[in-house]
Amino acid sequence: MTPEELTPDSPFTLPGFFDALSDGRLVAAVCSCGEVLVPPRTACYACGGRDLELEDQPRTGEIYSYTEVRTAPPAFEDDAPYTVAVVELDSGARLLGRVDADYDAVAIGDDVELRVRDPTEAEREIALSHEQDWPIHVFETV
Amino acid sequence: MTDPVIVSVGSSPVGRSELTGRDLFSVALGEAFEDLPAPAEVVEALYVGNQSETYEHQIMQGTLMAEWAGLRNVPAERVEGCAAAGALALKHAVEDVRRGTHDAVLACGVEKMTAGGTGGATDALSAAFDRALEQRSGVTAPSQYALLAQRYLHEYEATEEDLARIAVKNHANAASNPRAQFQSAVDVDTVLGSDYVAPPLKLFDCAPVGDAAATVLVATPDVADDLRSSDDRVRVTGAGSAANNLSVAERNMTFPEGANVAAERAYDQAGIDPVDVDVAEVHDAFTICEALLAEAAGFAPRGRGVESALTPTERSAGWTDVRMSTSGGLKARGHPIGATGILQAIEAYEQLTGQAGDRQVDGADTALLMNEGGVADAVTVSHVVET
Repeated sequence: MTPEELTPDSPFTLPGFFDALSDGRLVAAVCSCGEVLVPPRTACYACGGRDLELEDQPRTGEIYSYTEVRTAPPAFEDDAPYTVAVVELDSGARLLGRVDADYDAVAIGDDVELRVRDPTEAEREIALSHEQDWPIHVFETV
Repeated sequence: MTDPVIVSVGSSPVGRSELTGRDLFSVALGEAFEDLPAPAEVVEALYVGNQSETYEHQIMQGTLMAEWAGLRNVPAERVEGCAAAGALALKHAVEDVRRGTHDAVLACGVEKMTAGGTGGATDALSAAFDRALEQRSGVTAPSQYALLAQRYLHEYEATEEDLARIAVKNHANAASNPRAQFQSAVDVDTVLGSDYVAPPLKLFDCAPVGDAAATVLVATPDVADDLRSSDDRVRVTGAGSAANNLSVAERNMTFPEGANVAAERAYDQAGIDPVDVDVAEVHDAFTICEALLAEAAGFAPRGRGVESALTPTERSAGWTDVRMSTSGGLKARGHPIGATGILQAIEAYEQLTGQAGDRQVDGADTALLMNEGGVADAVTVSHVVET
């Protein structure tokens, strides 16, 4: 990939990644070493290589670890308590996000699917100008 | 021997203070230079570890602290690495002296983290998480570490009570440390009975919010000879650091590999092995961290780091005799973010010069310091300190 290709339309950049996510596409950069990077990066943290291809990923995975946020950051106080988890996607990539389920209803190994929603008014208030239209990802138990 | 030495140390009280960051620095400096010439006669450069400008709405901490130390036109800069900022400042000072760039460098750490209340601290600390996916999900520092603890307890034969014993041990150590934020012991029932902050972590699994400044003077042995008797100094024989991914989800969550690399680098430079370490100050911002870092440092077998609170004879085979967090650790000595790494060095100095009072570990002559920034080993800075 050339520097000229790193435009806001490319999922190798965050605006491009979130644009695709808004359309329901979870895009990863897959390295020739096999590592799956979400969101995509132009260099692989596993092998150091720069031979990466963009690929749409399945949005399903399982709970790797989880907890409940009881004391939230000021901007999220009205939401607390809420469940957050590290999810291992079927591709092997792991990422953190909220789980749309009570803490007591979640366990390690539970199947989940990544969904996206528009930011709420409150979330838009604390969003930076370039984040205004970025969707929020949430894991739903399936 | 050309190892840089720590000649003098000083800190402010740790905890909620009416003093500002620069005032706290003046207190720390006052202790460190009580019996020494003025800083301007000794110090050639200065580094300041400082987590966040949001607390006091102040950057330019290098210039500010140099000014407050009476130093004008010396190299001075703030270093940032969240909670590892203090050890990064120490590492820069040590490397400057080791390379011969300077003969005496002041390593400092300062944080006024109570300035914005609990919300301000929660917000400022969350800036250490990935902005795109993590911050926008509303995750907090306790919940990030709870994710580590939950997985650890899932994979290994370890319980919340094991974690509680680490808190109990560190509170007991802090009770004999005049520098500590908490001066009272707690029992296992108190820890286990405290409210969940982010399950499985409870209030007493977490280090407190606090203000403080701390400083150590790093110099060549020749400069040290002019300032102090050789009994009152320690050598920094090894330093190592490593940055791993920003998001903990993308790392090994049951073995902090970045911390392991940083410790190994410090051991290699010092030419020692984990078994040689008598005392270790590790980044126990949450009790689970002490367990993870016991393993990363090579003190404990995988899955048995939770035995750090047991006496050496009670621990599983494969454990060393190391005593961990003798200061009380971040958990109870306190965790004024940018100052923490320097406070760790002060504990090593006091243990190795026999000035640790009731918490003195007999015969301690080698210390390991592990200071982390971001969640767990997003960045780790390690030092080996020897008599």
